[in-house]
Amino acid sequence: MTLELDGLSHRYGNERALDDVSLALDDGELVALLGPSGCGKTTVVQAIAGHLDPTAGRVSLRGTDVTGVPPEDRNVGIVFQRSTLYPHMTVGENVAYGLKSGDLTAEQVSERVGRYLELVELADRRNASPKSLSGGETRRVELARALAPEPDVLLLDEPLSALDKGLRARLRDEIVRIQQRTGVTTLFVTHDQEDAMSVADRLVVLRDGAVVAAGAPRQLYESPPSRFVASFLGRSNELSAWVDGGDSPTVRIGGTELAADTVPSELVGASRAVVHVRPSDLTMRPAPRSDEPSSGTGTASDRAGASTDGGTSDERPGTIEMRGTVTHVSDVGRRYDARVEVDSGEVVTVERDRDGLRETDRVTVTAAVSDLTAFPTSE
Amino acid sequence: MSLVDATRSVTGSRRVPPLLVFGGLGGVLLVYFALPFAVFLGRIGSVPVVETLLQTASRTAVRNSLLTAPAATAIATAFGVPLAYVLARETFPGKRLIEALVVLPLVVPPVVGGAMLLSVVGRFTPIGAAAARVGLPLTDSLLGVVLAQTFVAAPFVVITARAGFGAVDERLEQASRSLGYGPLATFRRVSLPLASRAIVAGIVLTFARAIGEFGATMMVAYNPRTMPTRIWVDFIAGGIDAIVPLALALLAITLVVVATVQRFAGVPTVVEQ
Repeated sequence: MTLELDGLSHRYGNERALDDVSLALDDGELVALLGPSGCGKTTVVQAIAGHLDPTAGRVSLRGTDVTGVPPEDRNVGIVFQRSTLYPHMTVGENVAYGLKSGDLTAEQVSERVGRYLELVELADRRNASPKSLSGGETRRVELARALAPEPDVLLLDEPLSALDKGLRARLRDEIVRIQQRTGVTTLFVTHDQEDAMSVADRLVVLRDGAVVAAGAPRQLYESPPSRFVASFLGRSNELSAWVDGGDSPTVRIGGTELAADTVPSELVGASRAVVHVRPSDLTMRPAPRSDEPSSGTGTASDRAGASTDGGTSDERPGTIEMRGTVTHVSDVGRRYDARVEVDSGEVVTVERDRDGLRETDRVTVTAAVSDLTAFPTSE
Repeated sequence: MSLVDATRSVTGSRRVPPLLVFGGLGGVLLVYFALPFAVFLGRIGSVPVVETLLQTASRTAVRNSLLTAPAATAIATAFGVPLAYVLARETFPGKRLIEALVVLPLVVPPVVGGAMLLSVVGRFTPIGAAAARVGLPLTDSLLGVVLAQTFVAAPFVVITARAGFGAVDERLEQASRSLGYGPLATFRRVSLPLASRAIVAGIVLTFARAIGEFGATMMVAYNPRTMPTRIWVDFIAGGIDAIVPLALALLAITLVVVATVQRFAGVPTVVEQ
């Protein structure tokens, strides 16, 4: 293991920031530490870098316990959210800074600076002042400066959060490219699930100072282990489910009754549960108004649907169906988000590719049971 | 043109530029600064400036001031900058008390400050007596002048340097530590250069305050005379005209030192684009 945290806990005064956090990074791995702001991510970074003395637990680098070792003796590279380039040095001097503390000769330092500026494609800015760099260039120089001493571990603490959206995506790819080129073991800390999912080999989700999930990004997205992870990794709708035991147990979700054998097995044991479904997994069509002939339904069919699975019929056992009223439609550019209050009183968000719905329209919302994730609740 | 536009252009032409009021009020103060200065300097013609400055008493006063004020400034800087760094970086119980202590010499009238110093280093106190026995009297000596000047002037460098260190993002120091530099090397290579502008400003203020110090100096060391105490003695004897030469010299020294320090020392070498 290149980096190992073992039972790390930290308190600021009486406030608990980290609670028994353990995680390990293999050589060359890129792991994202993901969590909402204030969940303790930065405390983890500070503890690994040695800028903070954890209340309890151990930090090991390459098998050596470094918990009490000062930062300068740890060989950990770090890039913070805000720029920490030294304004009284040139770009080249900044990159050389971490090399001069070692025992390299002047030529070796110069060669290494050139190589790492080359890596971030800024060789021509070597004599520039950090003040003359754009936001993206600043980030790249900081990467070069952190990588030049060839650290055991690279810590990226919200490296993209201060950038605008387009730049963010480009720099994200750049980080992945540089990480693959150098093979440096990297912990990428972010509150942005899109950043985390798109860069990481592995995802660790932190909440209130504790690890609540770890695994491959796609796996956590598709089968989240908890309600928090489900709603934090991408958007999610919550629906209540009631389980009715008996000879032929049934489950009621959003007004649809299903035989227990068609629903996720987690539901069967519990009496009540919360069911999550992604907005993109919901489809919607106008419902026939009560005073209109029902023949209108078929022709006016207006299915939005990222996951339209052929000719799903209403009675098909693999789907749930909810009647509801559109309460709001917002145009977010590449799609529309419709909020629908279903007749059970719950509100769901449905993603649609097309416009054509108004507030107060009656609709039918459907979801495939296979797209539901169930979390039994105690009460 | 719409009605709104028409109304706007009419009122616009009558509108007083918004900063005029501020400028007017500030101008009153500026006149109040400049007028005594100009009238005082206007007396130069009627006073033998050079001859007076060449007299032994004047030359001794200039020499004493040039010995003591830089010494007091150096002491204040050597002890004040580390204190400023601690105050900027650390939080600890009783910090507010320490901060209050730092501004105390600014709040206390210098003459009272001098009396307080006397109560510690005076000739009949244990410290003063012991120092006098080994031949380093702390009152009525250049040492006494330095003590008085340091007491009164040191808060300037502490307060200004503290603000300078406070403006340096702590992450810049953390980055330096992670790049292999210990706390002292980080202070020297990152914190100090980045706070240097503020520190230099503090040193300049401290020097200007020290060389002009009168109240505390008069209490602790009325002799040997520094320029301010000489000016007081001359004023008692000969009125305003008598002090014009030394006052001019004091002004000149302070201006030259301020200009030189700001020109050559400390102002960080800004990287050219």
